[in-house]
Amino acid sequence: MSKRKRGILLAIWIVLIVALLVASLLVGTQSEGRESIQETMRDAVLHDSNKISLFGLIDVNPALISAVLVTVALLVFAACVRIFAIPKFKMVPGKFQMLIEQLVGFFDGLAKGNSPHRNGFLGAYIFGAGVYIFTSTLFELLGIQSTTTEGLPITLPAPLSDINAAIALGCLSYLIILSGGIVGNGLRGVGKTLKDFSLPISMSFRLFGAMLSGLLVTELVYYYVNLSFVLPVAVDVMFTLLHALIQTYVLTLLTALFYGEVSEPHKKKEIKKKAHA
Amino acid sequence: MNIPLNIDWQQILLHLLNFVILAGGLYFLLYKPVKNFMNKRTSYYEAMDAEAKAKVTSAQKLEEEYKTRLTNAEEEIREKKASAVKEAEKAADAVIAEAKAKGNKIISDAQTAAKQEKDKILQDANAEIEAMVSSAIDKVLVSAKENSFDDFLDSVQEE
Repeated sequence: MSKRKRGILLAIWIVLIVALLVASLLVGTQSEGRESIQETMRDAVLHDSNKISLFGLIDVNPALISAVLVTVALLVFAACVRIFAIPKFKMVPGKFQMLIEQLVGFFDGLAKGNSPHRNGFLGAYIFGAGVYIFTSTLFELLGIQSTTTEGLPITLPAPLSDINAAIALGCLSYLIILSGGIVGNGLRGVGKTLKDFSLPISMSFRLFGAMLSGLLVTELVYYYVNLSFVLPVAVDVMFTLLHALIQTYVLTLLTALFYGEVSEPHKKKEIKKKAHA
Repeated sequence: MNIPLNIDWQQILLHLLNFVILAGGLYFLLYKPVKNFMNKRTSYYEAMDAEAKAKVTSAQKLEEEYKTRLTNAEEEIREKKASAVKEAEKAADAVIAEAKAKGNKIISDAQTAAKQEKDKILQDANAEIEAMVSSAIDKVLVSAKENSFDDFLDSVQEE
């Protein structure tokens, strides 16, 4: 491409940006018939007003639709990888194979590192949970539009910004930890797990709080049209990526850590025997 | 019961159902096959490593064996060398003894031959002397025909 052509393209691009910016500022916002910022924020937290119909069966929170979409996308991707990529895996991996292996190896290593005694099931669980949290958090970047049961347009939020999803994942993680305790130590394991009775609540609300804070910041920014240029590149992409990574790591690490703790075999008898000897 | 924060059991269960389906699907489609492949590769390289280690061990054993053999061979060579030297010395002694015997025999033969020669010479000399004596006698007898007897007697007397 010649320098002149490049210059013309650059000029067109800049003119387009300026024209769109000016136009959007001149047109202004039509606040009538729209939700106020308070209503938007409240709905982002509570999901009590906007509902979406799930296959015409029941009305659900938009986050559940997001969760279903994420699940479908992930399963389709996994199926494609299983059918087309895995049979072609080589002993010396390529870039894509390396990425997939790193992903599986990371969660497997996390499970083995934190729970050396029992980690087969744990590895599979934290892999699923980690991939779900990461992908579903990034989902909000797509800004997929849908229509509520009342006919209003709505941007589908991250699934875990719904407290119900966070509670589901937090409680399931706790149940997984409990199962590790039962399998590893029987009744003693149950006792060990129940000792940390606040764990499901803390896990759920930590996840919910982290996801919600990201959502609220972006909702706040997007509410005002004037702020929806340039700024979202930094605010949305960077923050979303960052808290997606952090929350994935935090929940999977905590689950692996507690699972390892409760499933660790009890050694009291051996110590007693040694003391007698 | 109205739960605060719009917590809804149905929504929780639906999220759980969704996640269980996702986790199961990801396990069977991605986690398990990839992990199996990784395990297979690990075991392949472990087997390779074990094989290499076994080869190194066997090579080390062979090296030790050859070293032992070399040491034994050196010992054997030394022993054989010593025995060969001994045998050579023995053979040399035998040769020397034989040579000595031969020499002695030659000397004794030479001595015998010389003695015989001497005896023969003496005999010849005696015979020659006898012949000379008889010829001298004959000459004397011829020259002193007339007073041969007296001359003879005189000569005998003089002698």
